[in-house]
Amino acid sequence: MENTKELMLIHSQMPHVSSVPAEGVNILLTPQFYTIKREALPVKYAYQAKRIAPSLFEGLLENLEHQKYFVFEEEEQWVFVAYDVEKIKTFLQTKGIEIGQVFKIFFAEQVVASFHAPVLLGEQEALVNLNGTMTVVPQIALNPDEKPIRINADFTPKKGVSFEGRGKSMVSSNETYTLAAIFLLFAVIYFVEGSRYGGESEVQSQEMQALLENYPSLQSSYTRQSIADKYKKIDNKERKKRDVIKSLSHMIFKGSTLTSLLVDDKKFQAQFACKDTNTAKKLKELAKKEKFNTSKIAHSNDLKIEGTL
Amino acid sequence: MNQLKAYKNEIIVGLALLLLLIAFGYKQGKVSGQTDTSASSELQELKEVIALKKVWGDKKTTKRVDKLKTMVAPSKVKWSRTSKKLSASFSNLNNQELNRLIIRVMNLAVKIQKLEVKKSGASYHVELKCKW
Repeated sequence: MENTKELMLIHSQMPHVSSVPAEGVNILLTPQFYTIKREALPVKYAYQAKRIAPSLFEGLLENLEHQKYFVFEEEEQWVFVAYDVEKIKTFLQTKGIEIGQVFKIFFAEQVVASFHAPVLLGEQEALVNLNGTMTVVPQIALNPDEKPIRINADFTPKKGVSFEGRGKSMVSSNETYTLAAIFLLFAVIYFVEGSRYGGESEVQSQEMQALLENYPSLQSSYTRQSIADKYKKIDNKERKKRDVIKSLSHMIFKGSTLTSLLVDDKKFQAQFACKDTNTAKKLKELAKKEKFNTSKIAHSNDLKIEGTL
Repeated sequence: MNQLKAYKNEIIVGLALLLLLIAFGYKQGKVSGQTDTSASSELQELKEVIALKKVWGDKKTTKRVDKLKTMVAPSKVKWSRTSKKLSASFSNLNNQELNRLIIRVMNLAVKIQKLEVKKSGASYHVELKCKW
């Protein structure tokens, strides 16, 4: 996309630009606006190399905190480019180029091979490829036999950098991607949760429909409530009776015999014959555990266990 | 077009935020839809009513109650059933017969009005009154 746009060579002697194409321009910076360093480092990726870029320029540049770095691979070494964005912006504005009009920034060093001949920078200087390094030299130092060339969109490198906050943008690219990723993540979570709730509701409503079709008499909620009340009451009472009988049956063991049992709607009463006091004691403990009332039958080891329902 | 590109970052963030809000609205809609109808509790209630009805309104209960009569020798049983009401007495039951009878009664979906067990010597006498 970028190399369809006009590529403008930016150098300190450039004249004021009267008009910039409406679709914007790409700019190619001369070494007047950046500092380079070539290093053969044992790193595989550009982002790893970029991390160590600041340390490479320590002592070489002033105001390191204002510097931005661009790294690219060249044969078997890494080329580190340090540039001061604010300085470039200020310069462009003095030449009549608004930041919003600049699409991408490139560095002459990226296309060193394309400079097979000098490129004139105004009337006194020229940009030349000096043993693989772009250099600004006085025009008088040029070989008169070499015919200068002009740069065009074909010089545009593949990768470049953009001004952060180009135009009136208030969010940087990094912030944009981070925020967008967070919002999208939450959006996905909400969609998944929503569809889960929706799915559950649908399954429940289908199940409800199927049950009501099988039991048409339960379609009215009043009928349902009245049936539920009626049967719940019976269920609770009858379960209690059966639980009591079950508990009492656990009190029959060696030495303890059930002699009588009465269960009606309101109460229960059981009498156990115990062969000795120890058995009676054990039985009493079991009854106490079940929170039943116990009383001893006079002149015997027998025990009466009772309670209400 | 250039203006749009100038605000590319804001547009991306805005669209992502819009999507987030739509997703949130979608989820809230589904959640509130579920709460409004109380579908879950209504379904639970319906299932409970059906289960209770199946147990306590079972039409086969009469048949099952009648089987109590055949559990012991006819000479040991006095049986009186009218429609859905039973009054029965079982006498001279040994331990095993008593156990079997009580377990069967406990497993029947009937309202026990009276269950009386009395030991006399080595045998048991049982009186049972129930309805369903």
